[in-house]
Amino acid sequence: MKVQSAMFYFPEEVIEHIFSFLTHHPDRNTVSTVCKAWYKIERLSRCEVFVGNCYAIRPDRAAARFPGLRSLTLKGKPHFADFDLVPPDWGGLAGPWIEAMARSCPNLEELRMKRMVVSDESLELLVHAFPNFKALVLVSCEGFSTDGLAAVARSCKSLRELDLQENEIEDRGPRWLNSFPDMCTSLVSLNFACLKGEVNLKSLERLVCRSPNLKCLRLNRAVPVETLAKIMNQCPNLEDLGTGSLLADQFSEAYVSLISALQKCKKLRSLSGFWDASPLCLLAVYPICANLTGLNLSYAPTVQGQDFINLIQHCVKLLRLWVLDSVGDKGLAVVASACKELQELRVFPSDLFAAGPATVTEEGLVAISTGCPKLNSLLYFCHSMTNSALITVSKNCPNFTRFRLCILEPRKPDPATNEPLDEGFGAVVKTCKNLRRFSISGLLTDQVFYYIGKYAKALEMLSIAFAGDTDQGMTYVLNGCKNLRKLEIRDCPFGDGALLADVTKYETMRSLWMSSCDISLRGCKALATKMPSLNVEIINEWEAEMEENLNNGVAEVISNNNNKHINNGNDERKVEKLYVYRTVGGPRTDAPDFVWTL
Amino acid sequence: MEEVEENQEMKKVQQNPSSSEEEEEEELELGLSLGAKKFTSCNATSSKPTCRILTAKDFHPAGVGGPTSSASSSSSSVGSGGGKRAKPGPASPDGAGGSSQPPSSQMVVGWPPVKQFRMNSLFNLSREHPDQNSTKNSNATPAPNGEKTKEKEHIKEEEKKLGSRTTPFVKVKMDGDPIGRKIDLCALASYNALASALELMFQNPGLVSSSITKLKLLEESSEYKLTYEDKEGDWMLVGDVPWRMFVDTVKRLRIMRHCDDHALKPKFCSSNLSNKLLR
Repeated sequence: MKVQSAMFYFPEEVIEHIFSFLTHHPDRNTVSTVCKAWYKIERLSRCEVFVGNCYAIRPDRAAARFPGLRSLTLKGKPHFADFDLVPPDWGGLAGPWIEAMARSCPNLEELRMKRMVVSDESLELLVHAFPNFKALVLVSCEGFSTDGLAAVARSCKSLRELDLQENEIEDRGPRWLNSFPDMCTSLVSLNFACLKGEVNLKSLERLVCRSPNLKCLRLNRAVPVETLAKIMNQCPNLEDLGTGSLLADQFSEAYVSLISALQKCKKLRSLSGFWDASPLCLLAVYPICANLTGLNLSYAPTVQGQDFINLIQHCVKLLRLWVLDSVGDKGLAVVASACKELQELRVFPSDLFAAGPATVTEEGLVAISTGCPKLNSLLYFCHSMTNSALITVSKNCPNFTRFRLCILEPRKPDPATNEPLDEGFGAVVKTCKNLRRFSISGLLTDQVFYYIGKYAKALEMLSIAFAGDTDQGMTYVLNGCKNLRKLEIRDCPFGDGALLADVTKYETMRSLWMSSCDISLRGCKALATKMPSLNVEIINEWEAEMEENLNNGVAEVISNNNNKHINNGNDERKVEKLYVYRTVGGPRTDAPDFVWTL
Repeated sequence: MEEVEENQEMKKVQQNPSSSEEEEEEELELGLSLGAKKFTSCNATSSKPTCRILTAKDFHPAGVGGPTSSASSSSSSVGSGGGKRAKPGPASPDGAGGSSQPPSSQMVVGWPPVKQFRMNSLFNLSREHPDQNSTKNSNATPAPNGEKTKEKEHIKEEEKKLGSRTTPFVKVKMDGDPIGRKIDLCALASYNALASALELMFQNPGLVSSSITKLKLLEESSEYKLTYEDKEGDWMLVGDVPWRMFVDTVKRLRIMRHCDDHALKPKFCSSNLSNKLLR
């Protein structure tokens, strides 16, 4: 009571000042719900907004609520879109958001987007509508071309950051780099590693020359060693480097130049790229390895075997390592002995088309866990895993916050005992109290979900594939994981019973994805009816089947405000893909034909 | 070891005593069904033991490792557990994919869960350096310009194969089969090869599909019709255009189960579909 009345007498500026210490957006969301006055103060002073699902709120409403917005982060398609499970043209359009911001939030400086569809026109609008625009980060986006990049380069007066990570960008030529005006000297971070085409090397060199603040530079494969060496000589303060193609001859001028350039870069902490890396170029890198905290070799199949070992043993301060499984258990053993500070490890499959000779097994993982007790984040693709290995790993590394294990063959049991991997994954959730993200694979019964529901109290995101026996599995998770935000399931025998076990749960979560499970149209309709605050969307990729149904007079379709309802009596039909998310924005207005909102 | 696995398989099947009869019924299902293993005669709401969902058996169709998934029919005994990993299952053929590490898991859409971008990049990289996976090569000192131009030529050649495609994979779905798969077009050189590959991929001797013969897909008389969606969204019958052109324009494939020409009218458009939706 006392506190409440005291706050009442504070001038708004003071409360605003207090709020400015709250940088974590969930905290800001919380204070905005206290009372109308706080809501108003909070929304007017808010600078950063994070929208985890672009359909959870209408762009207009978000823009109107936060007119002072300076930084916006948006996520579009569901995570499984990364694996081709969401048909193209599903949505996640950036256009409406940029337009809404253009109307209401002129102070926008930073835009970060993940899994969204951005057009060149939207990029044009972006740079013309916001005079202070400084930073554009696009991750796993698509829909734009190098012409859009040219627009960004050309018109941004004080562009600080252009960060393109793993986007599908249509290549319309190398012109875009020329578009940076001569007076643009503000670049701090430039990442175009995902561009597939050629770049204008002279323009690149000139750009780097006039960017004294450049800290992060990630080149694409088209940049040869000669250019890299020239660039490195210009930026001795570089902290994060993504090399271009690292193919060079021992006696070439380029190679010698590269060595001396790299040695001058005392601040270099993170390396990536390494395309076509020849062993000699790797030699050039050794002198800076001792200070590296981040190393990404996951696009470098040429770095393996002894080359890898020679490189990694120098990296004693490494915190983050991404590699291909071609380094083998042997390579991982060396990592375990050299990189004692390691916190994050990702091991990607190198040969997606066959079981290659040197890949990793549970031994490599156990070695890592033994040598690197600080490990807290793991993504590991392997051909097999045992329960005892997982139990050992969790004992050695109780600090996991992210644990993702993918056994390449679905439903594969423990090869030593032929049992499911319930106990192994169970051990992980039992010992790792801070586990926030979990992906499981291999042969798994309902028992693993029992463990997850019982022990994984901090869990926020769970990914399941080819696992479980009955509805009970999914129910354990829904009932037990209090902090669950995202649940994504594919090819599991969970049906309507599981889906409807606790419908109010979905309001506490960002989203649910279920594909190739055992749910029916009837179950989905029931969910939609019970929970109007959710969008219950069904994706029918193979719409020709629906067409057939129409022709056979089986389906009768009623169209209502862009919502399509299927009433044909056969609600027992199984649903291929279901995406459920909470929203205040109502049903999507931009849903394509194959997305049905119930 | 095999015995133990068979027991596991048996356990699963035993929970569905009526499975074999049901399988015949499901042949006639259309539309959005989980297909093969759905039991309409029993209470569809009771989800558990009666619904036999995909077991490992489903991922090991006969004769896996055929002309699909590129080189790797040589995916041999290597890889964890070698031979015992190939699930025989009660109804599956003997020998066939028996001793090989089945690449079938890579034929399932979206598996392994690797970002498309990364898959495509690695695919392109592995195309250029086919011997990447053999260790060694530490002593190779590549000649500078010569190597590079040769590589660039090689890349261009591979790109030509792919035409304007960004990825060699196309999704394939067969009516009645719940699992969507993907097939590597670059590994195939002709329609015949495509037909054979698909046949191997979808053949499941457990199903009563006696009409599967060689080139079923390309024969007029067959119960199956192979169709594809082209760049414009039209569904066409496979086989009418030259192979190269087909590879350029195909977006996805569908194996239809009936002699139902509704969807096969030339220039059948998805806009027709929308018109039908709006009544």
